[in-house]
Amino acid sequence: MTKDFAVPPVVFPSGGSSVGANVQQRRFPATPFQPPRPSSSAIPFMSFDIGSAAASSATPAGPFGGTIASSSSFGGGGSSSFEDEEPLLDELGIHPDQIWKKTRSILNPFRINQSVHKDSDLSGPIFLYLALCLFQLLAGKIQFGVILGWIVVSSIFLYVVFNMLAGRNGNLNLHTCTSLVGYSLLPVVVLSAVSLFVPQGAGPIRFVLAAVFVLWSTRACATLVVSLADGGEEHRGLITYACFLIYTLFSLLVIF
Amino acid sequence: MAEMYNNMGPQPGMPRPPGNPDPGPFGNPFTGAGSGFIRGGLGAYGERILGSSSEYVQSNISRYFSDPQYYFQVNDQYVRNKLKVVLFPFLHRGHWTRISEPVGGRLSYKPPIYDINAPDLYIPFMAFGTYVVLAGLSLGLNGKFTPEALNWLFVKGLVGWFLQVMLLKVTLLSLGSGEAPLLDIVAYGGYAYAGLCLASFAKIIWGYSYYALMPWTCLCTGIFLVKTMKRVLFAEVRSYDSSKHHYLLLFLALVQFPLLIWLGNISVNWLF
Repeated sequence: MTKDFAVPPVVFPSGGSSVGANVQQRRFPATPFQPPRPSSSAIPFMSFDIGSAAASSATPAGPFGGTIASSSSFGGGGSSSFEDEEPLLDELGIHPDQIWKKTRSILNPFRINQSVHKDSDLSGPIFLYLALCLFQLLAGKIQFGVILGWIVVSSIFLYVVFNMLAGRNGNLNLHTCTSLVGYSLLPVVVLSAVSLFVPQGAGPIRFVLAAVFVLWSTRACATLVVSLADGGEEHRGLITYACFLIYTLFSLLVIF
Repeated sequence: MAEMYNNMGPQPGMPRPPGNPDPGPFGNPFTGAGSGFIRGGLGAYGERILGSSSEYVQSNISRYFSDPQYYFQVNDQYVRNKLKVVLFPFLHRGHWTRISEPVGGRLSYKPPIYDINAPDLYIPFMAFGTYVVLAGLSLGLNGKFTPEALNWLFVKGLVGWFLQVMLLKVTLLSLGSGEAPLLDIVAYGGYAYAGLCLASFAKIIWGYSYYALMPWTCLCTGIFLVKTMKRVLFAEVRSYDSSKHHYLLLFLALVQFPLLIWLGNISVNWLF
């Protein structure tokens, strides 16, 4: 039976000692195994170069780029390179400029720009949550789980109340609701930062500060929710009260 | 062959219409706006489960769990007037019966916007939330605030609401019929929290006013529940056994006192 395919002979460059004595000892080749590289191939394929092996004309610049690109585009074209890959933040869906725009829109308590909040994202709220937890940590209270749980519960609460009140044409969805509740936490974050410098204890100044920031938060959240989802205009006061309850709850964590 | 496929094509994907005879102005739980909730809540299977359940099961579910959408048809004016009725029931000059309208051959009540005596679920939920927040505030003013304590108070409030609902349900059942919709009873049970919030708020402002406002709240809640339950009993129960009715209603009003005092005593312990 003749072999139909040619097996290239494997030649290990010997280190000087006889072959027979080293049968049981494995010898690592000095150069890696090179598969036959066609000069002109119909299917472009990457050579698996590791280390400082000579790069072929088809491989991209950089020794590691070949392996990464080949693993990511296996059998595909040889044009995707490390520089062509999407940036990490884009792949994760985090857009810092959008987050900054949305955050800045809430910073002005008197005029809130609703159009930037049209597409909801959850990475800004996560960032604000971490900031709030950080400031609470600086105040000596470790409340990571508590705040996350309360954000989840209060966004579900607002979602239920808004959709029930709005009736047939209420179309707030939970993702948008959580995004809005999270972004409107910004004044509470500012409150917790400011209250680090206000003397401890339940003095009247803490309550006044908290009242101001809670009202700011409530106004932001209610305006955004009513303007971004249908059916909420005639129930504005009722929804504002629900938002007020939510942010008072968060401010309790900060004051006490 | 192709015609057969054309006929059978769209049917398996579409949910079969429930075939309810009278949907009412805002739909029943399975076709109205509230149905989006129930279906959405059940996830991918909601459509399949609710779309293909038999009419017997559906009618039973809608008998025990009426459409929640009905209870949220409120507006500002209704909320203000209803709070006045709950907190000062003896000032209510009008009658206490709910206005009913015939809808598709079956008698149903008008929604809360049109009828001050109809129960709603917005006020009980908001009153419960306000109670939790005020309880947290008063805990904090006594220096005992921790988030776990607030969660504990939340659970205590839920237990209180549950006890109130059980009380009303037992009253109705012992008089022969428990056929009022469950959400109605949940709504009536939750109105007590409005008075509780008032008493808690007064306690925060000035400590001694609590001892005046608490009996007032219990009395007002008792009167409100008695008047409401009397109308419910008139509507639901066939035979009118006067003395038994009156004793049970009096018992209902008297039990409010220990229940609301227990709920109003805001501390971390379970009992007192």
